[in-house]
Formats: sequence, structure tokens, C-alpha cells
Amino acid sequence: MSKHNDLIERSHWLRRTVFEMVMTTKRGHVPSSFSCAEILVSLFYGGVARYTRGDPTDPNRDRVYMSKGHAAHALYPILADIGYFPTEELARYTKPEGLLRMYADPSIPGIEAICGSLGHGLGIAAGVCMASRNDGRDVRSFVVLGDGECYEGSVWETAMFAAQQGLDNLVAIVDRNALCILGRTEDLVRLEPIDEKWRSFGWEVVRVDGHSHTALLDAFARVGKTGGKPLCIVADTVKGKGVSFMEGRSEWHNRMPSPEQLEQARRDLETNRITN
Amino acid sequence: MANPLMRDVLIEELCSIARRDPDVYFIAADLGAAALDSFREELPRQFIHSGISEQNMIDVAAGLATCGKKVYCYAMSSFITARCYEQIKVALGAMNQPVTLISVGVGMGYDDAGPTHYTTEDIAIMRALPGIEVLSPADAESTLAIARHTHAKPAFRYLRLERPALPPVYQGDFAAALPAGFARVAPGSKVAIVSSGYMLHRSLEARALLAAQGVEPAVFDLFRVKPLDPAALVAALAPYDAVVTVEEQWLAGGFGSVVLEAFSDVGSTKRVVRIGLPDRWFFENGGRKPVLDAFGLGVADIARAVGELHSSPGREGA
Repeated sequence: MSKHNDLIERSHWLRRTVFEMVMTTKRGHVPSSFSCAEILVSLFYGGVARYTRGDPTDPNRDRVYMSKGHAAHALYPILADIGYFPTEELARYTKPEGLLRMYADPSIPGIEAICGSLGHGLGIAAGVCMASRNDGRDVRSFVVLGDGECYEGSVWETAMFAAQQGLDNLVAIVDRNALCILGRTEDLVRLEPIDEKWRSFGWEVVRVDGHSHTALLDAFARVGKTGGKPLCIVADTVKGKGVSFMEGRSEWHNRMPSPEQLEQARRDLETNRITN
Repeated sequence: MANPLMRDVLIEELCSIARRDPDVYFIAADLGAAALDSFREELPRQFIHSGISEQNMIDVAAGLATCGKKVYCYAMSSFITARCYEQIKVALGAMNQPVTLISVGVGMGYDDAGPTHYTTEDIAIMRALPGIEVLSPADAESTLAIARHTHAKPAFRYLRLERPALPPVYQGDFAAALPAGFARVAPGSKVAIVSSGYMLHRSLEARALLAAQGVEPAVFDLFRVKPLDPAALVAALAPYDAVVTVEEQWLAGGFGSVVLEAFSDVGSTKRVVRIGLPDRWFFENGGRKPVLDAFGLGVADIARAVGELHSSPGREGA
């Protein structure tokens, strides 16, 4: 299988696995997870983030932060797959006897920070990047930010700071699905031109189709080649990507499907492959 | 020799520690100190200016701490507490990161500045966080010993520094008191005053005033309100008929509440009178001392409260 096809199959697997995991107890955020599926798969399976299978505490690992913490559970199938905890935990998601919670925290192997509250991941990652640089470790931090998360002022506090510090080992990926709970970002509080905002804060910025592994991998290839700037990848995505009735619909943020919709979603996820 | 500023004592010691320990990091959110200039110059790799961005400061500190760094965050009291409370709660508290928050100018330390710069609630809000250690030194000796303690035992910690230089309370005996979290700093009988920081000095002044009238309350410095062994505090206060707590805080959940909780937790019904700030905002000019005098925290107010308890019949506690 070509690398590209492998990534497509893994995204397909990730969406279906996350969906079934969330449906076991009907807790979680499916559309927010689906908008960033290709981002996470590219990071972990596209040769971008460096990690040691089975060793979540390797001090030289790259750090991956799901700063949009409501979708951190999208990482669980991947973290299990790379041997950070047993795959059986996925079936115990949010159950009293289970390890995995709806909002992730560092008690779960592979979760680097508690990010249920928005606007923390970038600053914590910046601290790790500074420590790593000072210690001579080649550690990068990849921070998946929600576009709605970019309303938080703390994101921009760190954006300024990271540029000043020249943290070229820091990568922000903005999951630009254009929706928050009450509607379209551009109808609520405008975020565009979001790429220009990051650029004006001193970041190297690239804007890509966030469902295209090819485009994402091209963007990730710029890590460390930014002339001392932190890198921001604005990934244009679709919230709920892969489930027809959820795509681009803000009301599905944390709603759970009816039995009929559940079957429809399963059919969609079985047949849909995101192949851009 | 003039009394040194607490912040200079602390930072000088931290600088000396940081020269030996490259894992010590100091983050400032644009607050200076004479001692900080040499730290910045000598140890630029270990000094970080976060910008006037306290949220960023705390999150960056958390990230550094996850890599094993011993991090100190430094800002004015108001801005290192309520301003970034959620970052403290989540990134330091819930993630259990050993970061020391150095809070300068507690209470009404920034004279005339008003509610934006006064921290008259910081004890209540900071001690509410699980696992935090809350310390309030009252002089240079206690500040120095606490500086060493923060490095020897890295922890999630809130360190309350007074802005003005204060005269000595301890004479080489603070280090021995540190493990308990409180110390009797003046002997007495019948009534015990419990206070800390700036108000400890006012309490000692009140004791001096009362001595002329033949009344001698003991004075206790409760410099660590959390963690606290309630049984130990209650035992230390057992010889006295009544207790007066003195704080430059609103009473809701503050310093006096700590003492009341200790008595309640061990089932004691000892008489405890709390003296603190009235439940209002303070916009008055004139500086810290006149404002405290005008709102019930004058030396005479403390002396009066003690005197009343002294002359009233004692009530045995548990």
C-alpha cells in the first residue's frame, strides 16, 4: 500500500473507531474529532511526530497537544495503537472502571496536558520547547488548536511570546472548521483573515486543505525550516467530516444521534473515504 | 542598616541557587527588583520575560516544569492570582506541577492603588486549590529560609511577599519553626493574637500598646496557612482563653477562617474573634496605614479587641 493510501485507510479507521468509542456511552464530541482526523493521522503515521512505540515517557519524544481538549479523545485509538495503553481501554471509555475520560489529562499515557479548558496547550507547549532547546534536546511540540479556541486571549499571549523567543520547534495546527457551538465563526466573531493574524504575530504560516494528507505532510515538512519562527498550519476542515448529516452543522457539536441516525452514520463511515 | 525588601532577599538567594542549578527558571511578567537585574544579566538562559501576559507566564511555567525545571513566576499579587487563576488551577494544580508563584505586594501593599492592585482575597482563593502550599513571610529571615525551602522541596506553591521592607521578627529561630508552619513570636497569657505578614507587625505593636496597661497577649505568626495541622495549631493555642485573628483580607474564607476551621475540625469551641477588612471595595487615598486605621485594622483596634477578651470571663476550649 502506498504511504498515501495507508494514511487514508488510517483516517478511515480512526473515524470509525472514535465514533464507536463515543457511542458506547454517548459522551464526547464527534464532529470536532472528525475535522482533525487527517491532522492527527498525518502527525502520528505520516512520519512527522517522533515517538517510541510503547514508551509514552521517552524524554526525547515530540509532544502532541490536543489543545482543543473537547476532541482529545480522538487521540485515544492512536495512543492505544502505538502501544501506550491496552486497546481494550477503548471499550471502557468514560466507564467507571476505564482509564479514558471524555476530557483527557496526563494520567492517560500520551496525554501531555489537561486541555478541557481552551487556550492552555500552546503556552504549555512553548514552555516545553524552551526547556528542550536549552537542554539541547531536539524535541518539537505540535499543538492542535480549535479555530474557536483562537478566541481565547491566552492563545495570542503565547503567539507573541513564542515568536519573540524564536521557538522554531513549536508548531500550531489550527483546525479551521469554521464552526463553534452557536454557529459559524464568521457570523459570530470574525476570525478571518486568521492566517494573516498568525503571520502578523511573527509566525511562519501555511494554509492547507486539512483533509488532504499530501497537503498536510507538505506543510509539516516545513518544521524547522522557518528561519527561527514558530510554524502555524491553518488547516481548513469540515466539522463532522465523514458523516453526511453532521458535516458543517454546528448543532451536532455534542449532540448524539438517534438510532436511525446512528445507522446512517455507520453507513457513511463505512463507505466514505476522505481521499483529497 | 536598613531592612531589605523581601523580594530582593528572595531573588538574591534564588540567583545564588540558580548559579548552581541550571534547572532553576525565573519568569517575570514585567515586575522588577534591584536583585533581578543581576539575575537577568548573569543567567539570561534561566530568566524569561513573559510579557505582561500572566496567563502565558503560568502555562509556559507548567510546560517548563513538565520537563523537570524548577520554575518561579514573579508578578504583582493581583496579577499572579485572580488574573490567571484558571491557568494556576488547571496547568499547575490539576497537572501537579512544582511551580512557585511569587506574589509581590499582598493586601494593600500598593498604597493608594485601589481594588485593581489590592489583594484582599488572595488567601481565600489560593488556599482553595488542592495541594497548594501558601506561605506569608514577615521579615527578611523568614523570606530567606523560605527561598531555600522552595528549592529544596519543589512544590505547587504560593508565596506572599510584602511590598515594603519590614523589621525583623525572628532572630535565627525561623528555620526551626518552618516545618510546623507557625511560631509563637511573643509570649503572653489569656489571649493569643494570630496573624502573618504585615499585620503581624501591627499585632506586635498592639501587644506593646497593651503591655503598658498590664495586658500581655501572646502573638503567633501563622506563616503557612496551607497545609496546616489543625491539631498542632489548636494545641499551641490551648493555653489561652481566647484567640484574635488579624488579617488584611476580607473575612470570607480568609486567614481567620483558617484558624476557625482548625478549631472546628478538632471540635473545640474556643472563642475566636476575627479582625479583617469590611466587605466593601477600597478607593480611599492616603496610603496603606491610614486606610487600615480607618477601617478597623489600626493598632488601637487590635488592642481594643484583645483588651475586651482579656477582661471578659474566660471560656475553656476543648
